Amino acid sequence: MKKPQLPFVVISVCGIALILFCLFGSQLTPMDPTQVNMQDRLQKATSDHWLGTDHLGRDLFSRIVAGAQTTIGTSFLVLALSLLIGVPVGLISGYIGGKIDRFLMRIVDAFLAFPDYIAAIVLSGLLGPGLFNLIAAMVIVKWVSYARVVRSIVLQEKSKEYVLVAKLNGVGTVSLILRHFLPHVGGHILVLATLDIGKIILMMASLSYIGLGTQPPTPEWGTMLNEGRAYFYNAPQLMFIPGAAIILFVLTFTALGEYIRGKYQVNQ
Amino acid sequence: MKEKSILRVTQLVKQYKAVTALNNVSLHIDKGECVGIVGESGSGKSTLVKSVLRLTEIQQGEVWFEEKPLHRLKGKKLQQARLGMQVVFQNPAASFNPKVKIIDSLLEPLRQQRTVPSFLSHVSRNEKEIAFYLLEKVGISAEYALNYPHELSGGQLQRVAIARAISVGPSLVLLDEPTASLDVTVQAKILNLLKDLQETFQLSYLFISHDLAAVKFMSSRMMVIQQGEVIDQFDRAQLFDKNRHPYTKKLVRLFE
Amino acid sequence: MVVIVLEVKHLAIHNKTKQIVKDVSLTIEQGQWMALVGESGSGKSITAASIGGLLPSGVTLKGGSITFKQKGEAPILGKDISYIFQDYRSAFTPFLTIGKQFDETIRTHTKLSKKDRKAAIFQALKAVNLPDERVYKSYAAQLSGGQLQRAAIALALVMKPALIIADEPTTALDSVAAAEVLQLLYKLKEEAGCAILFITHDLRHVRKYADRAAIMLAGEIVEENSIESLLRAPHHFYTKKLFNAIPSLQKTPDRLLDTQKKVLI
Repeated sequence: MKKPQLPFVVISVCGIALILFCLFGSQLTPMDPTQVNMQDRLQKATSDHWLGTDHLGRDLFSRIVAGAQTTIGTSFLVLALSLLIGVPVGLISGYIGGKIDRFLMRIVDAFLAFPDYIAAIVLSGLLGPGLFNLIAAMVIVKWVSYARVVRSIVLQEKSKEYVLVAKLNGVGTVSLILRHFLPHVGGHILVLATLDIGKIILMMASLSYIGLGTQPPTPEWGTMLNEGRAYFYNAPQLMFIPGAAIILFVLTFTALGEYIRGKYQVNQ
Repeated sequence: MKEKSILRVTQLVKQYKAVTALNNVSLHIDKGECVGIVGESGSGKSTLVKSVLRLTEIQQGEVWFEEKPLHRLKGKKLQQARLGMQVVFQNPAASFNPKVKIIDSLLEPLRQQRTVPSFLSHVSRNEKEIAFYLLEKVGISAEYALNYPHELSGGQLQRVAIARAISVGPSLVLLDEPTASLDVTVQAKILNLLKDLQETFQLSYLFISHDLAAVKFMSSRMMVIQQGEVIDQFDRAQLFDKNRHPYTKKLVRLFE
Repeated sequence: MVVIVLEVKHLAIHNKTKQIVKDVSLTIEQGQWMALVGESGSGKSITAASIGGLLPSGVTLKGGSITFKQKGEAPILGKDISYIFQDYRSAFTPFLTIGKQFDETIRTHTKLSKKDRKAAIFQALKAVNLPDERVYKSYAAQLSGGQLQRAAIALALVMKPALIIADEPTTALDSVAAAEVLQLLYKLKEEAGCAILFITHDLRHVRKYADRAAIMLAGEIVEENSIESLLRAPHHFYTKKLFNAIPSLQKTPDRLLDTQKKVLI
């Protein structure tokens, strides 16, 4: 296995530390992230406000930490839901075949015909703003690729002799899927999912940036990026800081994904 | 011979869309005997195996196993009727789920059936010990039980496949080119093993291969299949008779 | 005068962990069919690969010599030595017509004109009983398995090499198809006068056509002789074991290999 490059290691370590910090971060926000304080607006870093304040005097550091929860947490939720729909659809479609397979795959193809960002924007626009609708839009877009991958793995395995032997001995459909096909799927999905998380974070921040999804005053990095646009000339840190957070996390998860992929391929 | 027949196939027709893979194939196997089928690739021999096992639909014909009409049964009833029939396929690597340990693959049929045949219950009630016993019977040392398929050779895997097949105490085992992908000395040992097991457990075999000599070695009666049809059938001793089908004679010449 | 096409002396090949081939020597004369017989792990394929210059990465020649036609120069793969693989499909790429692929080989090694090249290809295809015009224009996917196989053999012969290395070309085939391939190879060998190094694990595949056979076990050649001598009076226990392992039509023993004991693996 290739030794991970030093930059990856550094980013991964920082990122993981940051992840842990942010997951439990709500306990650690020194101040209320939504507390408006017009007197202290647009301050640079001080001992009270470690990263300064934003245009409404809210503590930037607290907002970043709280935003981490929103952005990262929601991204994982989107991933989990996409897997929860995509994997079973792929398993059933691949194994049962026939009309059900054709029907499900037409739906999948329809979704895959659109670039995911366009589809997400359209859906989000149709559903309206808000975190819940954002999650729904992204899950609808994301589940299809997992279904596809899982289905092709099942198709590959289902004509193999060990499946015939199991069927001959009366192993039922559910047991076959869970015991024989799911283990094959696990490794691939893990690799795909870890690489996907970065993309989901980016998509979420992008959608929030253009005003779909979470709305102010919810602290979310994409939204914060949007809010900071008006102040780019005199207080660029309002954009740089959430921007840097997004970049750092996306890189971390991508690095993690590549690392897992390298390890997994060695096992294979 | 109706009372003795373990398996009776009459006028079996199997079609895949427009192609007739099996055309009016009939055969019977009596208790304790090995019937061999010789055919080239594409002759329909693998289709025959899947059709007899009822792992695929047949268009016409009857398959009677232990006097039960498999061709008419479905679902649980088919499953019950088919219990005494097992199979060993050609490709040992594909006969095992690479993600599952040898012991779990080996015990799958037994675990599924939930009743242990008497020859095993005499040995033990413990799953692991039953597995070790089965492995020993086919010449695999017990330590391989916890390995994964990729850690065993083709010959070893095929032995485990045979152990799996006999684990449920079947009366008939279908052998679909069981030694095709193996080295000659490994082939010889597996064929010997199959004969040993046949004697020990009074098994009946349907042995299918393109290797005429191997079929002759294993079987008391032989059939030749070409393009989905049985073109010749005879007792082993009649292989060199003058009234053999020209194709049979051609095969004999190849092996001399 | 006997022309020696290939002389291998005291070949030693290692991979990263152990020695795969130990002190292998053999000689192949012009027009001779030499069978290299052994089971998995015997080192037969690696020996052949080293002769053809196709050793995989991590496997290296650590000793001995391979002399081609008693010259100092290394043989050119494709021109002096050609290969026939077990998976004959891998001889052709699906993206070019068969004719173009033959053409590529000829252009690499000769300066023949396009007309002459085409004529040579047609001749090669006819020699293996393939319809020359049609196959020339076809893609690999349009040919049946048997046709592709014959095309692969034709490709191996088109440059009229002095030595053909055939690596288990009949192992995956049924008896009838195997017999056809062997018969075809023999006929072509006689016509072209080339030598054949035929790798196999089953003596039956070469009983009829090989001149000599070398039996390999655990990286060494344990016995080497003419086919008649081997069949009549094998010396080494392993040669005898190989013979006893093969079921014959004539005899019907109760068990193969004459062993009574079951051995734990």
